[in-house]
Amino acid sequence: MVLAQILLNGVLLGGLYGLMALGMALVWGVLNIVNLSHGALIMLGGYVTYYLFTLAGIDPFVALPIAMVIMFCFGFALQWGVLNLIVRSKMLNTLLITFGLQVVLTFTAQLLFTADFRTINPTYAGNNFPVGGLTVSVVRLAAFLVAIALASILWFVLNRLPLGRAIRATAQNLTAARLYGVNPRVLYAVTFGIGTALAGAAGGLYGMISNLTPYIGASLTAKSFVIAIIGGLSNPFYVIFGGIFVGIAESLTALYIGPTYTDVISFGLLVVVLVVRPSRAVRAA
Amino acid sequence: MKKSLALSAALLAATALSALPAAAENVITLGASVQMTGATANTGRYYKDAYALAVEKINAAGGVKVGGKTYKLKLDMLDNQSDVNLSVRQYVQLVSSDKVNFLLGPFASNFVISDSSVAEKYQIPMVEGGGSSGQIFSRGYKYVFGTLPPAGNYYGSTLEMMGKLKPTAKTVALVAADDSFDVSVAKGTRKLIKKAGMKIAVDESYAENSSDFSSILTKIKAAKVDSILWSGHETEALNFLRQMKQLNVSPADMYAFTVGVPTADFRNALGKDANYAFGMTTWLPDASLKDKWFGDAAEFAKEYKAKYGYDPDYHAASGAADVETYVYAIEKAGSLNPKKVRDAIASSNFDSLYAKVKYGSNGQINLPQIVVQIQDGQLKPVYTDHFINKPMYPAPAWDKR
Repeated sequence: MVLAQILLNGVLLGGLYGLMALGMALVWGVLNIVNLSHGALIMLGGYVTYYLFTLAGIDPFVALPIAMVIMFCFGFALQWGVLNLIVRSKMLNTLLITFGLQVVLTFTAQLLFTADFRTINPTYAGNNFPVGGLTVSVVRLAAFLVAIALASILWFVLNRLPLGRAIRATAQNLTAARLYGVNPRVLYAVTFGIGTALAGAAGGLYGMISNLTPYIGASLTAKSFVIAIIGGLSNPFYVIFGGIFVGIAESLTALYIGPTYTDVISFGLLVVVLVVRPSRAVRAA
Repeated sequence: MKKSLALSAALLAATALSALPAAAENVITLGASVQMTGATANTGRYYKDAYALAVEKINAAGGVKVGGKTYKLKLDMLDNQSDVNLSVRQYVQLVSSDKVNFLLGPFASNFVISDSSVAEKYQIPMVEGGGSSGQIFSRGYKYVFGTLPPAGNYYGSTLEMMGKLKPTAKTVALVAADDSFDVSVAKGTRKLIKKAGMKIAVDESYAENSSDFSSILTKIKAAKVDSILWSGHETEALNFLRQMKQLNVSPADMYAFTVGVPTADFRNALGKDANYAFGMTTWLPDASLKDKWFGDAAEFAKEYKAKYGYDPDYHAASGAADVETYVYAIEKAGSLNPKKVRDAIASSNFDSLYAKVKYGSNGQINLPQIVVQIQDGQLKPVYTDHFINKPMYPAPAWDKR
């Protein structure tokens, strides 16, 4: 029973992990930017949802799409004004600038929001229901479902809509995409905007399950990075599966080896994936 | 022409300025590196603000008298960004290039363990109010003094209280982070639990900064424990408690945390879910704690709140006591010689807004922890060596509140 419960915990948490990594994988795959400020964007999304909930009194799940729109605009502006300048330069430059961005976002957040802990705490945040002896947390289940829904929408956009075809075409062959009338500057900004919006949604859900401080970004970036590598950058569902895989691995580690070792295992998995399937990971990167 | 005129004017001004005599005031500089930003800035601010308030108050009352001369206190405070390595470099900078007279401590045991080695090496006293791990005081250091009581005994008063409550808890789940402070707490608590005749049903440590406790909570739920004793950092305490509710984990009798519960931030973030949580503090803003500069602890709390906009907790009081320790010790030594002041600190014995300050032979103060509980959104002291207020006990299950 303990094992079943822990597997369930791992799957539900893994869905959220996958959503966290989704935006990072998208930006990485299309723009070839390893966005080290991704965790900080998740943090910002969490705060946007928090303030929509506490100041405007909007239910956090209703606030989530609003936060996503706000974060999309922010991400669009960020790519348009800053990241487009370095989008085709060397990997090191993009790492440096996104790392700098993460520092700026984190400390601006501390100035604006203070270092106080915030939780997005609607009345049902702690609710749960029993299923065959297992306890299912309402918020965690909802977060999982939102993650699946957003991954499905992203898959649909990427594979069925003209915008998605343009995004994939740009990723595959920039020159050819341009010949077909794609404007890469706009397209990059839209892609980064979508990635930021997904980060925003993940942040809102994270704030309901855990808590928000300006400093959560760095560790969330690391987690997203691992999952993006494990899941690959090609298919949104693979990223979600990657998240679930890491979620289960962490839960089992906590059960059998000890909670101190969860990070060892998730980063260990990264090494294993790079060793076993280097060609795929390298090509994707 | 214009340019050179401006340049010469600037040069003139500079010479004029440097010719001015240095301020005639005698100054004693206290150096500290604290967490103003970064992951533990939330607690670090207590030290930053308490040091500043104590220095301001002491200066307003005339400063420090040493051998007929009056000195003002001055703070040289740096931001270690919650980075241990940076804090060590900053303490080296404070003693070797800033030439501060004495050192105040950072927050948290793991910082103090590293930073106090700088104090010991340069033989400059460090009085710290932020680290309580046994590892700090078991090294035979001569220049390090601490105003937080030993971590190993944090749960002493809680377990004593649990023995007196009916129904008495028989099994305990012990959960602790893996940093030096919490490892010390866990080590001491294991012994205390055995001594109290209770059984440790679950004993788990987790990696510092974990945000997910679902696996540990699942184990605790399966073990059907009577009580949970938890040790870690405030943000993790918040996560743990929220996830207890999400996964419907309700120990039969009670649950207690080493940190978080006494702070206003904790109660604000959790709302009514904070009720029933036990915690501990070495200090409450009580008027019976008399102080030379602030009058008493209640006055201190009032001034602190008015100046900084939030309530002080024991971290702040402990920090203020560190500054006061120096004033007493320097006046007693009648000298700024680090060795003489060190000896005077070792024989400290004074009443303060924090507690009666008296250091043990290893440099650490010894104080009882006051057990506190959040009752209907209010922080209530419950037990020291006798009951102060009636505890809300046993805590009802989450779905029966």
